[in-house]
Amino acid sequence: MWRGLWTLVARAARGPRRPCTRQGSGAPAPASGATVFALSSGQGRCGIAVIRTSGPASGQALRSLTAPRDLPPARKACLRLLSDPRSGEPLDRALVLWFPGPQSFTGEDCAEFHVHGGPAVVSGVLQALGSVPGLRPAEAGEFTRRAFAHGKLSLTEVEGLADLIHAETEAQRRQALRQLDGELSHLCRGWAETLTKALAHVEAYIDFGEDDNLEEGVLDRADSEVRELEVALGAHLRDARRGQRLRSGAHVVVAGPPNAGKSSLVNLLSRKPVSIVSPEPGTTRDVLETPVDLGGFPALLSDTAGLREGVGPVEQEGVRRAQKSCNFLDTVVIPAGAGSPNGRSQRLLLVLNKSDLLPAGGPDPSADLPPHLLLSCLTGEGLDGLLEALRKELAALCGDPSTGPPLLTRARHQHHLQGCLDALGHYKQAKDLALATEALRVARGHLTRITGGGGTEEILDIIFQDFCVGK
Amino acid sequence: MFSFRGCSRWVAVSLTKQHHPSSRFSGDSAAPWTPRFDVVVIGGGHAGTEAAAAAARCGSRTLLLTHRVDTIGQMSCNPSFGGIGKGHLMREVDALDGLCSRICDQSGVHYKVLNRRKGPAVWGLRAQIDRKLYKQNMQKEILNTPLLTVQEGAAEDLILTEPEPEHTGKYRVSGVVLVDGSTVYAESVVLTTGTFLRGMIVIGLEMHPAGRLGDQPSIGLAQTLEKLGFVVGRLKTGTPPRIAKESINFSILNKRTPDNPSIPFSFINETVWIKPEDQLPCYLTHTNPQVDEIVLENLHLNCHVKETTKGPRYCPSIESKVLRFPNRLHQVWLEPEGMDSDLIYPQGLSVTLPAELQEKMITCIRGLEKAKMIQPGYGVQYDYLDPRQITPSLETHLVQRLFFAGQINGTTGYEEAAAQGVIAGINASLRVRHKPPFVISRTEGYIGVLIDDLTTLGTNEPYRMFTSRAEFRLSLRPDNADSRLTFRGYKEAGCVSQQRYERATWMKSSLEEGISVLKSIEFPSSKWKNLIPEASISIGKSLPLRALDVLKYEEVDIELLAKAVPEPLKKYTKCRELAERLKIEATYESVLLHQQQEIKEVQRDEALQLPKDLDYLTLRDVSLSHEVREKLHFSRPQTIGAASRIPGVTPAAIINLLRFVKTTQQRQAAMDRLPKTDQHLCNTDKLEGRQL
Repeated sequence: MWRGLWTLVARAARGPRRPCTRQGSGAPAPASGATVFALSSGQGRCGIAVIRTSGPASGQALRSLTAPRDLPPARKACLRLLSDPRSGEPLDRALVLWFPGPQSFTGEDCAEFHVHGGPAVVSGVLQALGSVPGLRPAEAGEFTRRAFAHGKLSLTEVEGLADLIHAETEAQRRQALRQLDGELSHLCRGWAETLTKALAHVEAYIDFGEDDNLEEGVLDRADSEVRELEVALGAHLRDARRGQRLRSGAHVVVAGPPNAGKSSLVNLLSRKPVSIVSPEPGTTRDVLETPVDLGGFPALLSDTAGLREGVGPVEQEGVRRAQKSCNFLDTVVIPAGAGSPNGRSQRLLLVLNKSDLLPAGGPDPSADLPPHLLLSCLTGEGLDGLLEALRKELAALCGDPSTGPPLLTRARHQHHLQGCLDALGHYKQAKDLALATEALRVARGHLTRITGGGGTEEILDIIFQDFCVGK
Repeated sequence: MFSFRGCSRWVAVSLTKQHHPSSRFSGDSAAPWTPRFDVVVIGGGHAGTEAAAAAARCGSRTLLLTHRVDTIGQMSCNPSFGGIGKGHLMREVDALDGLCSRICDQSGVHYKVLNRRKGPAVWGLRAQIDRKLYKQNMQKEILNTPLLTVQEGAAEDLILTEPEPEHTGKYRVSGVVLVDGSTVYAESVVLTTGTFLRGMIVIGLEMHPAGRLGDQPSIGLAQTLEKLGFVVGRLKTGTPPRIAKESINFSILNKRTPDNPSIPFSFINETVWIKPEDQLPCYLTHTNPQVDEIVLENLHLNCHVKETTKGPRYCPSIESKVLRFPNRLHQVWLEPEGMDSDLIYPQGLSVTLPAELQEKMITCIRGLEKAKMIQPGYGVQYDYLDPRQITPSLETHLVQRLFFAGQINGTTGYEEAAAQGVIAGINASLRVRHKPPFVISRTEGYIGVLIDDLTTLGTNEPYRMFTSRAEFRLSLRPDNADSRLTFRGYKEAGCVSQQRYERATWMKSSLEEGISVLKSIEFPSSKWKNLIPEASISIGKSLPLRALDVLKYEEVDIELLAKAVPEPLKKYTKCRELAERLKIEATYESVLLHQQQEIKEVQRDEALQLPKDLDYLTLRDVSLSHEVREKLHFSRPQTIGAASRIPGVTPAAIINLLRFVKTTQQRQAAMDRLPKTDQHLCNTDKLEGRQL
């Protein structure tokens, strides 16, 4: 009888409402057998981060991430290489622990991953877990509730649980609010509104279409709304790869005229001699990449050949590659010799190097330069300013893990948006209108898990507001 | 007229007050002339008839108390039964062996399944019903039901006694006082007063007390309920005028013909009583700007519309249609009232204007230019009791053994009333026999959705069923109501006949067998494509396809499949219903598999019972906010599942309640080790029952 408790409380934690929003047929089954995962240590940068899973697929998850090897012995720490089960891309070397139920914190099969605490690694492992069938991000307090449901907590501990859930839902709410200021939330709300309306219209068509004169084309309108929504969601999911960027690092390219000191800047930023520097123009003839930590963000720093009409074929190819790579790059840092402005308008920082050579009054005010930073690679003057500017750029690009929405929430969003998109696909395919509507209900369920709301009354309100129905 | 058989005596008694069958009620502690019944049902409408018949089917000696025997089974509003969502309810009532579906199969004049093209989960069985036939057939059924007695009389008051200590509630009902001062004792009482509680009829600016046009309202009973402390609300509804059939010019209107073949409402009927070609058509016409004009110019003469009392959003009067959706043509269906009736019911024209203006309005409408109004439309305002004051078995929290069903709970519609009636009748009977209540979960039926919505959320407008209210719509279909409810009704309530039970059992095992056979037949898709060229089977999938997967294709049915694979599929084509149901099961198979898990989840929450005697306002060891306490106190959810659906009850409160349940269970477990007094009581009671 108490076994199913957590599901109830999981639902309750999302706020009391009718049980009409639910997980999708398109997504991994979330019901009683669902396995959840979450970052159990604090958010942000830390030495070690602990990621936990609980549920029957924990063993499967552990195997998927540690490749074909057997499960580690129960309750013993083992060092394993974690890699993404889809791409095979290595994520981290980590300590993993395997707790077969019932002798675990929650009473279910549990796994723990103790990984290096950078946001990129944590995000990578969370996304990898999310791709394992049967796994979904945990709701607030879900681990504790599962423990409670399996009798792993005493009654006195349970008293604290109510407060905990209250606090966690509060935090989730605040978190959601914070996020809801952002662009994503604005999008989600818009989508949920569109979807609710489309669903209401299809529901109206089912409940009243036959007896009342609903206007022509109710269904066609809903169809086209769903199609638009699908396109928007698809585009967003393809585009919103901020987490991805965080994991692999944003690309930062140093480009500019020859002999401006690009390689010197790269060496300065990476604190090691990546590129050969010389006072001669055209020393660097290819794109050189090096991973660096810039203001707490992983970045892939590229040194490029100077953008000039090259003399030799080798240097020309280098220039071509540099130009090509600029098209794909996230941030372009352009050190330019003082007085050499660059007209490109992508996300870029204009850095004027060799500031030590400038006269005391700064660059010539009559040159009409765009916003820029002054730097001297030689003296290191202006480096702090450049790093701060880079950090801001990268934060905007990757999302700042210390102030922005936590990675876990992001993984959840992606999970639900994907679920929504899958369900919309089912809507299009279904010939039976009841089945099609079911797909829309599922899709809406996913969206309202992000935005809240989602009751039946909302739908009825729209129906009675939009249509004159009745005998 | 109709025969009174068996009940005539009782009708006579109420009129002459002489004869009483005291021999049947030996051992009464009350005065010897006071009749005593297990269950007394007050009201002979759609809820009352179902309640009385259900209680009698369950084996309780039942009395149906009604103002007039000749209005039993009266359809006071529309001459039709069923529809989308409502047809679902009727199938469920039928699965519990209720009456309305069977009576409709004997009384319809135009059978049509709505939503035919939208998927079997949302098919809406519907029929135009001959009012007179329905009433006749219903009265015949009621007056011939064993253990059921009918008496004319108006209930004025309830007889209350001390509550049973082992149950919650301030009082216990033990009988009814009639307007003439006589009394009837009862173990359980079911109130199905419809619109009669302080009913007021409104036409134009005139208002006069009446439960229905021509019937007296119940005022004393309303006062009694209010005095007891029930929270009373007020609702309104309305009905259109009736028009003389021969005064309508049908030749210029759109005609709608019935289905051929007719689909019966009841599982036990293969056909309906009337051939499709003998059925009556319906006609469609529309309102026009002149109608709008008349409505808008005369709002000052229309107090029903001005009143703040809540009316339904979905069955609006023509006035509210014009006000809310101006400059539109609204549909008016002209529906026959019966085979030999000269009346036409203009569905969509519910109106409360003064009678002469109604007539003026009607004659503006195409086809009705020369129409004669026989009876004006009118509005009804009536009391209802906040349904959060009743349990899912429809017993009131306040008064033990008192049950409410129908419009008294804030619903509208014959089918909604009938559905509650069956449940109230069953539970009134089970209560007398000290059996656990019969509750349908919202995962099991539309009846469950209806009652759960009412008892946990309440309602502030007349509540009507829609399929969109059911979250498990794909599982709760009209075709499978028997497999959802008949077995429970048979085993737990005893309200289902042996014949129906056997039929449902046969159907269930045939379906299971059929599905497993369909699963076992596997061919590569290319072979299927050759066998059934009509189907758009996509070839190239490496996995073999099961016959069940092929049956999912829209254009494939059992017939076609059996032509391709005669053995062993041929035998499934013989029963039309079986073939159709196999097709439906195949259509929804994959989604249902998924839904089943969710249903289990909800059911588990509903298995977590909250103690009934919990006093939320004073409960000390649980930390709950005042607001949550009040909400729980008012709705008195019976399970954690219901509690979590009450708006405003926070997750933290749910956890605290869970903890409370757990401690209670521990205490209960300790108690169970003691001698089982409860069971002992139950057995004695059964013994007494047999002796009686």
